[in-house]
Amino acid sequence: MTAAAAAAATAIAAIATTLPTRSESKTDTERENGKESRTKRYGMVIDVRRCIGCHACTVACKSEFDVPLGVNRAWVEYVEKGVYPNVGRSFLPRLCNHCSVPPCVTVCPTNATYKRPQDGIVVVDSGLCIGCKYCIQACPYDARFLNPVTGFADKCDFCIHRVSKGLVPSCVNTCVGGARIFGDLGDPNSNISKLIANNQVTVLRREMGTFPNVYYIGADHTDELDAKRPEVRKVQVVTHRRHEERR
Amino acid sequence: MGEELTWGMPVILYLFLAGVGAGAVTVSSSVLLRGGGGDFGGRHFKLARYGALIGPFPVMLGTFLIIFELGRPFRMFNLFKVVNLSPMNIGSWLLMIFITASFLYTLTFLPTFISQWKNLSQRLAPLRTVLAWINVPLGIGVAVYTGVMLGAMPARPLWNSPILALLFLVSALSTGIAMIILVQTLFHKKGADTEAERHFHQSAYLLTSSDAMLIGLELMVIFLFLMFAHLTIGNVKYAVSIILPGGDMAMMFWVWVVAIGLLIPAIIELIFVVPKLVYHRDYSAPRSVEIVVSIAVLVGGFMLRYIIVHAGQVTGPMGL
Ligand code: SF4
Ligand code: SF4
Ligand code: SF4
Repeated sequence: MTAAAAAAATAIAAIATTLPTRSESKTDTERENGKESRTKRYGMVIDVRRCIGCHACTVACKSEFDVPLGVNRAWVEYVEKGVYPNVGRSFLPRLCNHCSVPPCVTVCPTNATYKRPQDGIVVVDSGLCIGCKYCIQACPYDARFLNPVTGFADKCDFCIHRVSKGLVPSCVNTCVGGARIFGDLGDPNSNISKLIANNQVTVLRREMGTFPNVYYIGADHTDELDAKRPEVRKVQVVTHRRHEERR
Repeated sequence: MGEELTWGMPVILYLFLAGVGAGAVTVSSSVLLRGGGGDFGGRHFKLARYGALIGPFPVMLGTFLIIFELGRPFRMFNLFKVVNLSPMNIGSWLLMIFITASFLYTLTFLPTFISQWKNLSQRLAPLRTVLAWINVPLGIGVAVYTGVMLGAMPARPLWNSPILALLFLVSALSTGIAMIILVQTLFHKKGADTEAERHFHQSAYLLTSSDAMLIGLELMVIFLFLMFAHLTIGNVKYAVSIILPGGDMAMMFWVWVVAIGLLIPAIIELIFVVPKLVYHRDYSAPRSVEIVVSIAVLVGGFMLRYIIVHAGQVTGPMGL
Protein backbone atom coordinates (compact mmCIF):
# COMPACT_ATOMS: atom_id res chain seq x y z
CA MET A 1 0.00 0.00 0.00
CA THR A 2 2.70 2.40 1.10
CA ALA A 3 4.89 1.24 -1.73
CA ALA A 4 2.10 1.94 -4.18
CA ALA A 5 1.54 5.39 -2.75
CA ALA A 6 5.26 6.11 -2.93
CA ALA A 7 5.33 4.93 -6.52
CA ALA A 8 2.39 7.18 -7.36
CA ALA A 9 4.10 10.12 -5.68
CA THR A 10 7.26 9.47 -7.66
CA ALA A 11 5.26 9.28 -10.84
CA ILE A 12 3.58 12.58 -10.11
CA ALA A 13 6.91 14.16 -9.24
CA ALA A 14 8.35 12.79 -12.45
CA ILE A 15 5.53 14.31 -14.47
CA ALA A 16 5.87 17.59 -12.62
CA THR A 17 9.57 17.77 -13.33
CA THR A 18 9.23 16.77 -16.95
CA LEU A 19 6.96 19.70 -17.70
CA PRO A 20 9.57 22.46 -17.31
CA THR A 21 12.27 20.28 -18.86
CA ARG A 22 10.24 19.95 -21.99
CA SER A 23 10.06 23.68 -22.50
CA GLU A 24 13.78 23.92 -21.73
CA SER A 25 14.62 21.36 -24.36
CA LYS A 26 12.68 23.52 -26.79
CA THR A 27 14.91 26.40 -25.80
CA ASP A 28 17.89 24.18 -26.48
CA THR A 29 16.86 23.62 -30.06
CA GLU A 30 16.22 27.32 -30.40
CA ARG A 31 19.71 28.00 -29.11
CA GLU A 32 21.12 25.61 -31.69
CA ASN A 33 19.25 27.53 -34.35
CA GLY A 34 20.91 30.67 -33.10
CA LYS A 35 17.60 32.08 -31.82
CA GLU A 36 16.80 33.47 -28.37
CA SER A 37 18.62 31.66 -25.61
CA ARG A 38 15.86 31.96 -23.02
CA THR A 39 12.08 32.10 -23.04
CA LYS A 40 10.98 35.62 -22.35
CA ARG A 41 8.01 36.87 -20.40
CA TYR A 42 7.09 40.20 -21.82
CA GLY A 43 5.17 42.59 -19.64
CA MET A 44 4.52 46.25 -19.08
CA VAL A 45 4.60 48.63 -16.17
CA ILE A 46 2.37 51.65 -16.38
CA ASP A 47 3.59 54.36 -14.07
CA VAL A 48 0.39 56.34 -13.70
CA ARG A 49 2.24 59.13 -11.87
CA ARG A 50 3.95 59.94 -15.14
CA CYS A 51 0.83 59.82 -17.31
CA ILE A 52 -0.61 63.17 -18.40
CA GLY A 53 -3.65 61.72 -20.17
CA CYS A 54 -2.63 62.96 -23.61
CA HIS A 55 -3.83 59.88 -25.57
CA ALA A 56 -0.58 59.75 -27.55
CA CYS A 57 -0.46 55.98 -26.96
CA THR A 58 -4.03 55.56 -28.19
CA VAL A 59 -3.21 57.43 -31.39
CA ALA A 60 0.16 55.75 -31.95
CA CYS A 61 -1.43 52.33 -31.57
CA LYS A 62 -4.28 53.28 -33.89
CA SER A 63 -1.94 54.38 -36.65
CA GLU A 64 0.48 51.49 -36.13
CA PHE A 65 -2.25 48.97 -36.92
CA ASP A 66 -4.83 51.00 -38.82
CA VAL A 67 -7.32 50.10 -36.09
CA PRO A 68 -10.83 50.88 -37.44
CA LEU A 69 -12.95 53.68 -36.05
CA GLY A 70 -14.80 53.00 -32.82
CA VAL A 71 -12.51 50.25 -31.49
CA ASN A 72 -9.21 50.42 -29.61
CA ARG A 73 -6.28 48.21 -28.76
CA ALA A 74 -5.00 50.87 -26.37
CA TRP A 75 -7.00 53.54 -24.61
CA VAL A 76 -6.80 55.95 -21.68
CA GLU A 77 -9.53 56.25 -19.09
CA TYR A 78 -10.12 59.30 -16.94
CA VAL A 79 -11.33 58.81 -13.40
CA GLU A 80 -12.84 61.85 -11.72
CA LYS A 81 -13.95 61.70 -8.14
CA GLY A 82 -15.15 63.99 -5.39
CA VAL A 83 -17.10 67.23 -5.36
CA TYR A 84 -15.54 70.66 -5.85
CA PRO A 85 -13.32 71.89 -4.23
CA ASN A 86 -12.21 68.41 -3.10
CA VAL A 87 -11.88 66.73 -6.44
CA GLY A 88 -9.29 64.66 -8.23
CA ARG A 89 -8.74 63.32 -11.68
CA SER A 90 -6.46 60.45 -12.54
CA PHE A 91 -5.63 58.63 -15.74
CA LEU A 92 -5.58 54.94 -16.44
CA PRO A 93 -3.88 53.81 -19.65
CA ARG A 94 -5.23 50.44 -20.74
CA LEU A 95 -4.30 47.57 -23.04
CA CYS A 96 -4.44 43.79 -23.05
CA ASN A 97 -2.83 42.38 -19.91
CA HIS A 98 -1.30 39.38 -21.65
CA CYS A 99 -2.53 37.43 -18.65
CA SER A 100 -0.57 34.46 -17.34
CA VAL A 101 -3.86 32.55 -16.97
CA PRO A 102 -5.81 34.03 -19.88
CA PRO A 103 -9.55 33.16 -19.91
CA CYS A 104 -9.72 34.25 -23.56
CA VAL A 105 -7.45 31.31 -24.44
CA THR A 106 -9.46 28.81 -22.40
CA VAL A 107 -12.70 29.51 -24.23
CA CYS A 108 -11.43 29.86 -27.81
CA PRO A 109 -12.99 26.96 -29.74
CA THR A 110 -10.56 27.04 -32.66
CA ASN A 111 -7.24 27.54 -30.83
CA ALA A 112 -6.98 30.84 -32.71
CA THR A 113 -6.19 32.67 -29.48
CA TYR A 114 -3.13 31.31 -27.74
CA LYS A 115 -0.33 32.38 -25.47
CA ARG A 116 3.00 32.21 -27.25
CA PRO A 117 5.30 29.91 -25.30
CA GLN A 118 8.42 31.80 -26.30
CA ASP A 119 7.47 35.21 -24.91
CA GLY A 120 4.07 35.00 -23.22
CA ILE A 121 2.33 37.29 -25.70
CA VAL A 122 -1.34 36.40 -26.14
CA VAL A 123 -2.15 36.53 -29.85
CA VAL A 124 -5.04 35.86 -32.23
CA ASP A 125 -4.23 33.71 -35.25
CA SER A 126 -6.22 35.46 -37.95
CA GLY A 127 -6.03 32.33 -40.08
CA LEU A 128 -8.06 30.33 -37.58
CA CYS A 129 -10.38 32.84 -35.89
CA ILE A 130 -14.04 32.52 -36.88
CA GLY A 131 -15.16 35.66 -35.07
CA CYS A 132 -17.38 33.84 -32.57
CA LYS A 133 -16.73 36.55 -29.95
CA TYR A 134 -16.45 34.04 -27.13
CA CYS A 135 -13.06 35.47 -26.15
CA ILE A 136 -14.53 38.97 -26.13
CA GLN A 137 -17.09 37.80 -23.57
CA ALA A 138 -14.47 35.99 -21.51
CA CYS A 139 -11.92 38.79 -21.17
CA PRO A 140 -12.52 40.49 -17.79
CA TYR A 141 -10.79 43.63 -19.06
CA ASP A 142 -12.79 44.35 -22.20
CA ALA A 143 -9.45 44.35 -24.00
CA ARG A 144 -10.80 42.60 -27.11
CA PHE A 145 -13.10 43.62 -29.90
CA LEU A 146 -14.38 42.27 -33.17
CA ASN A 147 -12.50 44.05 -35.90
CA PRO A 148 -15.29 45.48 -38.07
CA VAL A 149 -13.12 45.35 -41.18
CA THR A 150 -11.65 41.85 -40.96
CA GLY A 151 -14.33 40.13 -38.85
CA PHE A 152 -11.69 38.64 -36.54
CA ALA A 153 -11.19 39.09 -32.84
CA ASP A 154 -8.51 41.70 -32.35
CA LYS A 155 -6.54 43.23 -29.52
CA CYS A 156 -3.11 44.46 -28.47
CA ASP A 157 -0.34 42.04 -29.48
CA PHE A 158 2.50 43.89 -27.70
CA CYS A 159 3.61 45.02 -31.15
CA ILE A 160 5.23 41.68 -32.00
CA HIS A 161 6.49 43.05 -35.29
CA ARG A 162 8.46 45.77 -33.49
CA VAL A 163 9.45 43.83 -30.39
CA SER A 164 10.88 40.95 -32.44
CA LYS A 165 13.21 43.44 -34.09
CA GLY A 166 14.40 44.80 -30.78
CA LEU A 167 12.21 47.92 -30.80
CA VAL A 168 9.81 48.88 -28.03
CA PRO A 169 6.04 48.81 -28.72
CA SER A 170 4.60 51.81 -30.49
CA CYS A 171 2.66 53.10 -27.48
CA VAL A 172 5.79 52.88 -25.33
CA ASN A 173 7.86 54.59 -27.98
CA THR A 174 5.49 57.52 -28.20
CA CYS A 175 4.66 58.05 -24.52
CA VAL A 176 5.61 61.65 -23.72
CA GLY A 177 5.86 61.14 -19.98
CA GLY A 178 7.63 57.80 -20.09
CA ALA A 179 4.67 56.25 -18.29
CA ARG A 180 4.67 53.00 -20.28
CA ILE A 181 7.67 50.79 -19.60
CA PHE A 182 8.03 47.57 -21.59
CA GLY A 183 10.39 44.69 -20.90
CA ASP A 184 11.12 41.11 -19.96
CA LEU A 185 9.67 40.16 -16.58
CA GLY A 186 11.72 36.97 -16.62
CA ASP A 187 15.01 38.85 -16.51
CA PRO A 188 15.69 40.03 -12.94
CA ASN A 189 18.05 42.74 -14.21
CA SER A 190 15.62 44.28 -16.68
CA ASN A 191 14.45 47.80 -16.01
CA ILE A 192 10.87 46.61 -15.67
CA SER A 193 11.71 43.86 -13.15
CA LYS A 194 13.56 46.39 -11.01
CA LEU A 195 10.64 48.82 -11.16
CA ILE A 196 8.25 46.11 -9.99
CA ALA A 197 10.61 45.09 -7.20
CA ASN A 198 11.13 48.63 -5.95
CA ASN A 199 7.61 50.04 -6.12
CA GLN A 200 4.13 49.31 -4.89
CA VAL A 201 2.44 47.77 -7.87
CA THR A 202 -1.11 46.66 -8.54
CA VAL A 203 -2.86 44.79 -11.31
CA LEU A 204 -6.43 45.19 -12.54
CA ARG A 205 -9.18 42.91 -11.21
CA ARG A 206 -6.76 40.56 -9.55
CA GLU A 207 -9.68 38.64 -8.04
CA MET A 208 -10.35 37.29 -11.53
CA GLY A 209 -7.30 35.07 -11.12
CA THR A 210 -5.85 35.97 -14.50
CA PHE A 211 -2.40 37.04 -13.21
CA PRO A 212 -1.99 40.02 -15.52
CA ASN A 213 1.44 40.92 -16.87
CA VAL A 214 0.63 44.61 -17.03
CA TYR A 215 1.46 46.22 -13.71
CA TYR A 216 0.44 49.65 -12.51
CA ILE A 217 2.27 52.04 -10.22
CA GLY A 218 0.06 54.59 -8.50
CA ALA A 219 -3.17 53.54 -10.26
CA ASP A 220 -6.47 54.76 -8.87
CA HIS A 221 -8.75 51.73 -8.94
CA THR A 222 -11.84 53.77 -8.14
CA ASP A 223 -14.86 52.66 -10.13
CA GLU A 224 -18.24 54.24 -10.67
CA LEU A 225 -19.65 51.73 -8.21
CA ASP A 226 -17.60 53.37 -5.47
CA ALA A 227 -19.80 56.45 -5.75
CA LYS A 228 -22.32 54.50 -3.69
CA ARG A 229 -20.03 54.94 -0.71
CA PRO A 230 -20.86 58.17 1.12
CA GLU A 231 -17.29 59.39 1.54
CA VAL A 232 -16.52 59.08 -2.18
CA ARG A 233 -19.57 61.16 -3.17
CA LYS A 234 -19.15 61.31 -6.89
CA VAL A 235 -17.23 59.31 -9.46
CA GLN A 236 -17.18 59.68 -13.19
CA VAL A 237 -15.23 57.33 -15.40
CA VAL A 238 -14.68 58.35 -19.00
CA THR A 239 -13.30 55.57 -21.14
CA HIS A 240 -12.88 57.57 -24.35
CA ARG A 241 -14.11 54.54 -26.28
CA ARG A 242 -17.33 53.98 -28.13
CA HIS A 243 -18.52 52.18 -25.01
CA GLU A 244 -18.56 55.15 -22.71
CA GLU A 245 -19.03 52.93 -19.69
CA ARG A 246 -16.32 50.78 -18.27
CA ARG A 247 -17.26 47.13 -18.66
CA MET B 1 -30.13 48.79 -22.37
CA GLY B 2 -29.99 50.23 -25.84
CA GLU B 3 -26.33 49.34 -26.24
CA GLU B 4 -25.22 46.72 -28.69
CA LEU B 5 -24.52 43.30 -27.27
CA THR B 6 -21.59 41.09 -28.14
CA TRP B 7 -24.02 38.20 -28.44
CA GLY B 8 -27.35 39.46 -29.69
CA MET B 9 -30.63 38.11 -30.97
CA PRO B 10 -29.21 35.30 -33.15
CA VAL B 11 -27.50 33.77 -30.12
CA ILE B 12 -30.59 34.20 -27.95
CA LEU B 13 -32.77 32.56 -30.59
CA TYR B 14 -30.22 29.82 -31.07
CA LEU B 15 -30.14 28.98 -27.36
CA PHE B 16 -33.94 28.85 -27.33
CA LEU B 17 -34.38 26.85 -30.53
CA ALA B 18 -31.61 24.40 -29.70
CA GLY B 19 -33.31 23.86 -26.35
CA VAL B 20 -36.74 23.25 -27.90
CA GLY B 21 -35.35 20.84 -30.49
CA ALA B 22 -33.08 18.96 -28.12
CA GLY B 23 -35.93 18.75 -25.60
CA ALA B 24 -38.43 17.47 -28.16
CA VAL B 25 -36.06 14.79 -29.45
CA THR B 26 -35.07 13.69 -25.96
CA VAL B 27 -38.70 13.39 -24.91
CA SER B 28 -39.69 11.61 -28.10
CA SER B 29 -36.81 9.15 -27.83
CA SER B 30 -37.45 8.44 -24.15
CA VAL B 31 -41.13 7.79 -24.77
CA LEU B 32 -40.29 5.45 -27.63
CA LEU B 33 -37.73 3.60 -25.53
CA ARG B 34 -39.81 3.43 -22.41
CA GLY B 35 -42.22 1.09 -24.15
CA GLY B 36 -39.57 -0.91 -25.93
CA GLY B 37 -42.09 -1.51 -28.68
CA GLY B 38 -44.61 -2.78 -26.16
CA ASP B 39 -47.77 -1.18 -24.92
CA PHE B 40 -46.36 2.07 -23.57
CA GLY B 41 -44.35 2.94 -26.65
CA GLY B 42 -47.11 1.63 -28.87
CA ARG B 43 -49.80 3.72 -27.25
CA HIS B 44 -47.70 6.83 -27.40
CA PHE B 45 -46.20 6.09 -30.77
CA LYS B 46 -47.84 9.13 -32.30
CA LEU B 47 -46.45 11.32 -29.55
CA ALA B 48 -42.95 10.02 -30.21
CA ARG B 49 -43.48 10.62 -33.90
CA TYR B 50 -44.55 14.24 -33.36
CA GLY B 51 -41.45 14.81 -31.24
CA ALA B 52 -39.24 13.25 -33.88
CA LEU B 53 -40.80 15.27 -36.68
CA ILE B 54 -40.25 18.53 -34.81
CA GLY B 55 -36.89 17.67 -33.29
CA PRO B 56 -34.02 18.51 -35.62
CA PHE B 57 -35.60 21.49 -37.35
CA PRO B 58 -35.49 24.15 -34.61
CA VAL B 59 -31.91 23.07 -33.91
CA MET B 60 -31.00 23.40 -37.57
CA LEU B 61 -32.65 26.81 -37.81
CA GLY B 62 -30.87 28.00 -34.65
CA THR B 63 -27.54 26.72 -35.92
CA PHE B 64 -28.10 28.48 -39.22
CA LEU B 65 -28.81 31.74 -37.36
CA ILE B 66 -25.78 31.47 -35.12
CA ILE B 67 -23.45 30.86 -38.05
CA PHE B 68 -24.29 34.30 -39.36
CA GLU B 69 -23.60 35.84 -35.99
CA LEU B 70 -19.95 34.88 -36.52
CA GLY B 71 -17.53 37.55 -37.67
CA ARG B 72 -16.46 35.18 -40.45
CA PRO B 73 -19.36 32.79 -41.16
CA PHE B 74 -17.67 30.91 -43.97
CA ARG B 75 -14.87 29.93 -41.70
CA MET B 76 -17.02 27.94 -39.31
CA PHE B 77 -15.34 24.71 -40.38
CA ASN B 78 -12.30 25.85 -38.42
CA LEU B 79 -14.29 24.69 -35.41
CA PHE B 80 -13.84 21.14 -36.57
CA LYS B 81 -10.11 21.35 -37.19
CA VAL B 82 -9.36 20.94 -33.52
CA VAL B 83 -10.72 19.31 -30.40
CA ASN B 84 -10.16 21.32 -27.27
CA LEU B 85 -11.84 21.93 -23.94
CA SER B 86 -13.64 25.10 -24.99
CA PRO B 87 -17.35 24.54 -24.33
CA MET B 88 -18.06 25.98 -27.76
CA ASN B 89 -15.78 23.44 -29.41
CA ILE B 90 -17.27 20.48 -27.56
CA GLY B 91 -20.71 21.94 -28.20
CA SER B 92 -20.11 22.21 -31.93
CA TRP B 93 -19.10 18.58 -32.17
CA LEU B 94 -22.10 17.56 -30.08
CA LEU B 95 -24.39 19.69 -32.19
CA MET B 96 -23.11 18.23 -35.42
CA ILE B 97 -23.58 14.65 -34.22
CA PHE B 98 -26.96 15.50 -32.71
CA ILE B 99 -28.29 17.09 -35.90
CA THR B 100 -27.20 14.05 -37.91
CA ALA B 101 -28.55 11.50 -35.45
CA SER B 102 -31.86 13.27 -34.86
CA PHE B 103 -32.39 13.83 -38.56
CA LEU B 104 -31.87 10.13 -39.26
CA TYR B 105 -34.25 9.42 -36.39
CA THR B 106 -36.85 11.64 -38.06
CA LEU B 107 -36.35 9.85 -41.38
CA THR B 108 -37.07 6.47 -39.79
CA PHE B 109 -40.55 7.73 -38.94
CA LEU B 110 -41.48 8.82 -42.45
CA PRO B 111 -42.52 5.37 -43.79
CA THR B 112 -45.07 5.05 -40.96
CA PHE B 113 -47.28 7.58 -42.74
CA ILE B 114 -47.77 5.45 -45.82
CA SER B 115 -49.68 2.25 -45.25
CA GLN B 116 -48.13 0.51 -48.26
CA TRP B 117 -44.72 0.95 -46.63
CA LYS B 118 -45.68 -0.87 -43.48
CA ASN B 119 -43.08 -3.48 -44.22
CA LEU B 120 -40.26 -0.98 -44.50
CA SER B 121 -41.47 0.79 -41.40
CA GLN B 122 -41.32 -2.43 -39.43
CA ARG B 123 -37.84 -3.19 -40.70
CA LEU B 124 -36.72 0.29 -39.63
CA ALA B 125 -38.00 -0.21 -36.07
CA PRO B 126 -34.71 -1.58 -34.64
CA LEU B 127 -32.78 1.29 -36.24
CA ARG B 128 -35.28 3.71 -34.76
CA THR B 129 -34.66 2.24 -31.33
CA VAL B 130 -30.88 2.44 -31.72
CA LEU B 131 -31.12 6.07 -32.80
CA ALA B 132 -33.41 6.82 -29.87
CA TRP B 133 -30.79 5.39 -27.52
CA ILE B 134 -28.20 7.67 -29.11
CA ASN B 135 -30.46 10.70 -29.11
CA VAL B 136 -31.33 10.75 -25.42
CA PRO B 137 -27.80 11.46 -24.17
CA LEU B 138 -27.05 13.67 -27.18
CA GLY B 139 -30.17 15.79 -26.67
CA ILE B 140 -29.39 16.22 -23.00
CA GLY B 141 -25.81 17.05 -23.93
CA VAL B 142 -26.86 19.76 -26.38
CA ALA B 143 -29.24 21.32 -23.87
CA VAL B 144 -26.66 21.26 -21.08
CA TYR B 145 -23.80 22.58 -23.16
CA THR B 146 -25.67 25.80 -23.96
CA GLY B 147 -25.63 26.56 -20.24
CA VAL B 148 -22.04 25.44 -19.78
CA MET B 149 -20.99 27.71 -22.62
CA LEU B 150 -22.40 30.76 -20.87
CA GLY B 151 -21.21 29.59 -17.48
CA ALA B 152 -17.55 29.23 -18.38
CA MET B 153 -16.54 32.83 -17.76
CA PRO B 154 -15.67 34.52 -14.46
CA ALA B 155 -15.89 37.79 -16.42
CA ARG B 156 -19.67 37.24 -16.66
CA PRO B 157 -20.67 36.66 -13.02
CA LEU B 158 -24.39 36.28 -13.71
CA TRP B 159 -23.73 33.28 -15.95
CA ASN B 160 -20.86 31.87 -13.96
CA SER B 161 -23.01 29.45 -12.01
CA PRO B 162 -23.03 25.65 -12.14
CA ILE B 163 -26.79 25.62 -11.91
CA LEU B 164 -27.34 27.62 -15.09
CA ALA B 165 -26.73 24.54 -17.25
CA LEU B 166 -29.31 22.63 -15.23
CA LEU B 167 -31.77 25.49 -15.62
CA PHE B 168 -31.29 25.41 -19.39
CA LEU B 169 -31.69 21.63 -19.45
CA VAL B 170 -34.96 21.68 -17.53
CA SER B 171 -36.23 24.57 -19.61
CA ALA B 172 -35.23 22.73 -22.80
CA LEU B 173 -37.20 19.64 -21.82
CA SER B 174 -40.19 21.71 -20.75
CA THR B 175 -40.26 23.82 -23.92
CA GLY B 176 -39.67 20.68 -26.00
CA ILE B 177 -42.76 19.12 -24.46
CA ALA B 178 -44.72 22.33 -24.97
CA MET B 179 -43.77 22.27 -28.63
CA ILE B 180 -44.98 18.66 -28.98
CA ILE B 181 -48.26 19.52 -27.24
CA LEU B 182 -48.73 22.51 -29.50
CA VAL B 183 -48.07 20.64 -32.73
CA GLN B 184 -50.01 17.56 -31.69
CA THR B 185 -53.02 19.68 -30.73
CA LEU B 186 -52.89 21.76 -33.89
CA PHE B 187 -52.67 18.75 -36.18
CA HIS B 188 -55.07 16.50 -34.32
CA LYS B 189 -58.36 15.95 -36.11
CA LYS B 190 -61.17 14.78 -33.95
CA GLY B 191 -62.09 11.41 -35.35
CA ALA B 192 -64.97 9.04 -34.80
CA ASP B 193 -62.49 6.40 -33.68
CA THR B 194 -62.87 6.47 -29.89
CA GLU B 195 -59.78 4.29 -29.41
CA ALA B 196 -57.57 6.82 -31.26
CA GLU B 197 -59.25 9.63 -29.35
CA ARG B 198 -58.43 7.91 -26.05
CA HIS B 199 -54.80 7.47 -27.07
CA PHE B 200 -54.58 11.11 -28.01
CA HIS B 201 -55.82 12.17 -24.59
CA GLN B 202 -53.53 9.72 -22.84
CA SER B 203 -50.56 11.16 -24.68
CA ALA B 204 -51.68 14.68 -23.88
CA TYR B 205 -52.00 13.70 -20.23
CA LEU B 206 -48.53 12.18 -20.18
CA LEU B 207 -47.07 15.33 -21.74
CA THR B 208 -48.98 17.80 -19.64
CA SER B 209 -48.26 16.08 -16.34
CA SER B 210 -44.56 15.77 -17.21
CA ASP B 211 -44.49 19.41 -18.18
CA ALA B 212 -46.08 20.45 -14.89
CA MET B 213 -43.45 18.45 -13.03
CA LEU B 214 -40.63 19.99 -15.05
CA ILE B 215 -41.98 23.47 -14.43
CA GLY B 216 -41.95 22.75 -10.71
CA LEU B 217 -38.35 21.65 -11.00
CA GLU B 218 -37.50 24.73 -13.04
CA LEU B 219 -39.00 27.00 -10.40
CA MET B 220 -36.87 25.23 -7.81
CA VAL B 221 -33.73 25.68 -9.91
CA ILE B 222 -34.50 29.37 -10.41
CA PHE B 223 -35.04 29.73 -6.69
CA LEU B 224 -31.67 28.12 -5.93
CA PHE B 225 -29.95 30.16 -8.61
CA LEU B 226 -31.25 33.45 -7.25
CA MET B 227 -30.98 32.54 -3.59
CA PHE B 228 -27.36 31.48 -3.72
CA ALA B 229 -26.39 34.43 -5.89
CA HIS B 230 -28.12 36.73 -3.45
CA LEU B 231 -26.62 35.15 -0.34
CA THR B 232 -23.04 35.47 -1.50
CA ILE B 233 -21.18 38.77 -1.72
CA GLY B 234 -19.21 40.30 -4.52
CA ASN B 235 -19.52 40.00 -8.28
CA VAL B 236 -22.28 37.40 -8.39
CA LYS B 237 -24.52 39.18 -5.91
CA TYR B 238 -23.95 42.46 -7.70
CA ALA B 239 -24.75 40.94 -11.09
CA VAL B 240 -27.87 39.07 -10.03
CA SER B 241 -29.37 42.19 -8.51
CA ILE B 242 -30.34 43.21 -12.05
CA ILE B 243 -33.13 40.60 -12.08
CA LEU B 244 -34.05 40.85 -8.41
CA PRO B 245 -36.72 43.36 -7.31
CA GLY B 246 -35.41 46.85 -7.96
CA GLY B 247 -33.15 45.77 -10.80
CA ASP B 248 -33.40 47.02 -14.37
CA MET B 249 -34.65 43.73 -15.77
CA ALA B 250 -36.60 42.53 -12.74
CA MET B 251 -40.06 43.30 -14.14
CA MET B 252 -39.32 41.52 -17.36
CA PHE B 253 -37.93 38.49 -15.57
CA TRP B 254 -40.68 38.06 -12.99
CA VAL B 255 -43.57 38.80 -15.33
CA TRP B 256 -42.46 37.06 -18.52
CA VAL B 257 -40.39 34.17 -17.24
CA VAL B 258 -41.78 33.39 -13.82
CA ALA B 259 -45.45 34.39 -14.12
CA ILE B 260 -46.32 33.91 -17.79
CA GLY B 261 -43.78 31.22 -18.58
CA LEU B 262 -43.95 29.10 -15.44
CA LEU B 263 -46.53 29.83 -12.76
CA ILE B 264 -49.63 30.39 -14.87
CA PRO B 265 -49.04 27.43 -17.21
CA ALA B 266 -48.25 25.20 -14.23
CA ILE B 267 -51.48 26.17 -12.47
CA ILE B 268 -53.60 25.61 -15.58
CA GLU B 269 -51.88 22.29 -16.24
CA LEU B 270 -52.49 21.17 -12.69
CA ILE B 271 -56.17 22.07 -12.92
CA PHE B 272 -56.50 19.50 -15.68
CA VAL B 273 -54.00 16.97 -14.40
CA VAL B 274 -55.05 16.68 -10.76
CA PRO B 275 -58.57 15.26 -11.39
CA LYS B 276 -57.03 12.37 -13.30
CA LEU B 277 -54.17 11.96 -10.89
CA VAL B 278 -56.27 11.95 -7.76
CA TYR B 279 -59.78 10.92 -8.80
CA HIS B 280 -58.85 8.88 -11.90
CA ARG B 281 -61.19 10.91 -14.02
CA ASP B 282 -60.62 11.01 -17.73
CA TYR B 283 -58.18 13.64 -18.82
CA SER B 284 -59.42 15.97 -21.47
CA ALA B 285 -58.22 19.54 -21.74
CA PRO B 286 -59.91 21.79 -24.28
CA ARG B 287 -57.93 22.44 -27.41
CA SER B 288 -57.71 26.18 -26.74
CA VAL B 289 -56.25 25.58 -23.28
CA GLU B 290 -53.61 23.22 -24.65
CA ILE B 291 -52.64 25.79 -27.25
CA VAL B 292 -52.51 28.75 -24.87
CA VAL B 293 -50.55 26.88 -22.22
CA SER B 294 -47.95 25.54 -24.62
CA ILE B 295 -47.48 28.93 -26.24
CA ALA B 296 -47.04 30.51 -22.80
CA VAL B 297 -44.38 27.93 -21.90
CA LEU B 298 -42.57 28.56 -25.18
CA VAL B 299 -42.70 32.33 -24.71
CA GLY B 300 -41.39 31.90 -21.17
CA GLY B 301 -38.54 29.73 -22.44
CA PHE B 302 -37.58 32.31 -25.00
CA MET B 303 -37.75 35.14 -22.48
CA LEU B 304 -35.58 33.13 -20.08
CA ARG B 305 -32.83 32.93 -22.71
CA TYR B 306 -33.36 36.55 -23.70
CA ILE B 307 -33.12 37.90 -20.17
CA ILE B 308 -30.24 35.68 -19.06
CA VAL B 309 -28.18 36.42 -22.18
CA HIS B 310 -28.94 40.12 -22.00
CA ALA B 311 -28.49 40.58 -18.26
CA GLY B 312 -25.26 38.59 -18.28
CA GLN B 313 -23.71 40.98 -20.75
CA VAL B 314 -24.76 44.27 -19.19
CA THR B 315 -23.39 43.19 -15.82
CA GLY B 316 -19.76 42.50 -15.14
CA PRO B 317 -17.30 42.21 -12.30
CA MET B 318 -17.59 45.06 -9.82
CA GLY B 319 -14.73 47.50 -9.47
CA LEU B 320 -11.51 47.49 -11.43
S1 SF4 C 1 -6.43 41.00 -20.90
FE1 SF4 C 1 -8.13 39.92 -21.84
S2 SF4 C 1 -7.51 39.58 -23.94
FE2 SF4 C 1 -5.66 40.10 -22.80
S3 SF4 C 1 -4.81 38.09 -22.18
FE3 SF4 C 1 -6.07 38.84 -20.49
S4 SF4 C 1 -8.07 37.90 -20.86
FE4 SF4 C 1 -6.94 37.74 -22.79
S1 SF4 D 1 -13.51 35.17 -31.83
FE1 SF4 D 1 -11.75 34.08 -32.75
S2 SF4 D 1 -10.11 34.20 -31.23
FE2 SF4 D 1 -12.04 34.73 -30.18
S3 SF4 D 1 -12.78 32.80 -29.29
FE3 SF4 D 1 -13.76 32.98 -31.31
S4 SF4 D 1 -12.39 31.91 -32.73
FE4 SF4 D 1 -11.20 32.27 -30.83
S1 SF4 E 1 1.84 47.35 -27.36
FE1 SF4 E 1 1.38 47.89 -29.51
S2 SF4 E 1 -0.62 46.93 -29.87
FE2 SF4 E 1 -0.35 46.98 -27.66
S3 SF4 E 1 -1.33 48.88 -27.00
FE3 SF4 E 1 0.84 49.36 -27.34
S4 SF4 E 1 0.94 50.08 -29.47
FE4 SF4 E 1 -1.04 49.03 -29.23
